[in-house]
Amino acid sequence: MNLLRQCVAVTNANLRSVRRRFWISFSLVLSVALVTMILLGFLAMANGFNKALTQVGAEDIAIVLSSGARSELGSRITPPHLHLLEEAPGIARDANGAAFTSPELIVPVDVIGKSDQLPAAVSLRGVGLRGVAVRPLVKLSEGRMFAQGANELIIGKRLAQDYEGLELGKTILFGKSKWKVVGFFDADGSVFESELLADAKVVQTLFNRPNLTQVLRVKLAGPDGFAQLASYIEANPRLPVTVRSERQYFASQSQRVSQIILWLGWPLALTMALGAIIGALTTMYSSVSDRLIEIATVRAIGFSRTSAFIGTWIEALLLTLIGCGVGTLAALLLLDGWAASTVGADNTQIAFELQLSLSMIINAVAVSLLVGAVGGGLPAFRATRVPLRLAMTGRS
Amino acid sequence: MTLDTRIQLQDVSKSYRLGKSEISIFDSLNLDIPAGDFLAIMGPSGSGKSTILNLIGGIDRITSGQVTVGQLRIDNLSEAKLSRWRAQQVGFVFQFYNLLPMLTAAQNVELPLLLTAHSRRERMERVNTILDIVGLDTRGKHLPSELSGGQQQRVGIARAIAMDPQILLCDEPTGDLDRKSAEEILDILKILNTEMGKTIIMVTHDPSATTYARRTLHLDKGQFVRKELEHMA
Repeated sequence: MNLLRQCVAVTNANLRSVRRRFWISFSLVLSVALVTMILLGFLAMANGFNKALTQVGAEDIAIVLSSGARSELGSRITPPHLHLLEEAPGIARDANGAAFTSPELIVPVDVIGKSDQLPAAVSLRGVGLRGVAVRPLVKLSEGRMFAQGANELIIGKRLAQDYEGLELGKTILFGKSKWKVVGFFDADGSVFESELLADAKVVQTLFNRPNLTQVLRVKLAGPDGFAQLASYIEANPRLPVTVRSERQYFASQSQRVSQIILWLGWPLALTMALGAIIGALTTMYSSVSDRLIEIATVRAIGFSRTSAFIGTWIEALLLTLIGCGVGTLAALLLLDGWAASTVGADNTQIAFELQLSLSMIINAVAVSLLVGAVGGGLPAFRATRVPLRLAMTGRS
Repeated sequence: MTLDTRIQLQDVSKSYRLGKSEISIFDSLNLDIPAGDFLAIMGPSGSGKSTILNLIGGIDRITSGQVTVGQLRIDNLSEAKLSRWRAQQVGFVFQFYNLLPMLTAAQNVELPLLLTAHSRRERMERVNTILDIVGLDTRGKHLPSELSGGQQQRVGIARAIAMDPQILLCDEPTGDLDRKSAEEILDILKILNTEMGKTIIMVTHDPSATTYARRTLHLDKGQFVRKELEHMA
């Protein structure tokens, strides 16, 4: 109790004297705020990217690629294999027994960014008759569906927002082929919104990719559907393909990019944190120097070394926590929900939103506390070593 | 009643290390201060006056010898025990007051009381009583910067006697004050000695301040060179 009172009294006196050291204390707050913002920015980026790809991944949709292919772009499924796959068990079928499958191919096409006027590659995806049926999230929001056999396309809402010329009723040129924009769709902000959808047969023809299918998208029949389909493929040596649930596929696609973001983000944030620690050391050494006579005086009066230590330490921790609060607030206001895009596994743009979460904020608080604890620890220790005779000789 | 606070320095030596050389402040110094004494110590700068206060107050360590207060040898107490002893037995009055500038006068006086188990109400009562004794009962809420030098030193004295210590160590308590304020401070110290029985040891450069003390010792180059006894009736 006694020690607690001493600590409270010394801390109170220290904090009240911060005004005398306003600018150096402010610089510490600012540097910690920057560290927090950068760390949260990278974490939110990795999280947003991850979510864009994985949260939409359904368990009742399967993705079939050719064996050895890591992404759709490197995959090729031949027509005989497609026929074999159409007959596989575990696939949902309509009343006439037709399989809910969509043979698809991707062609990267160039569009111009609205903000930077720079060209970027986006995915034009040719889909089968049931291309939309195997994408439960995709909903037409404006216009109409593309007609089979016509060079028409529908566009993800996010692409329409970010790139020029993607307007309803307009005709756009990709290479030598002309395409009419007939509709917009949204897909809950997911990765699907980063694509343009058109009839696969028209895409194959106009881009000179006869009979090319890169991926077969499949709607599974019930909870055992995936196991039945996987067993069928495994038991059939004539099928050089692999199958993954949509969720597994997106998870594997996002893992690498989010890891790169995190590998870049954490070291950068920790390097900056090191700088902030040096800032904290400077600030707190200055605080101790500024209060030498006061520290010596209260110690001469009978206050313990521990109270001198804790008082200085708490000042450092509070300043860094304020910095963390400012950085978090700035990140919430400026970064949370901020639209970004990156190049996906198919070398095309994937749009996503930066998303902050409580666990990230806890991480940022932990880094700030580390800055405060280390940066304040040594000066706090120095405060305990202040010679008491200074109280006799100095002017406070 | 005066408690047994006889202060004895026996064969005390004190030296400081400065780089590779050792500077001796004094060697084999002996001093006996009876309880209830009001001792003034004079001497030129660097003669060791303040060092004597530091050693008696336990804020500096002797090189050899022994320092006894009452029945207690304080030179070999641990840091923590010395802190507790100092809090209960010694009050310090500093030349530059050493008030915490961001705390009010009352909060400055309350500081040492935070080391006790007193409730806030008890502490406040004590603070008000002491501020009344030093004539600052209406100034408790003022910051040190809002007080004159003499008033700040009164707050310093109030803080020094807040724990009702038996020993007051005053380092040039009037050194930063004008004549009138200095006399007021010395009057308060005299009352604390004569009416409340405090043992006071005061380092001063001011010969007129010594007239308030019971006796004066002159220190030069670490040795007492002249004694003047019994100024006061």
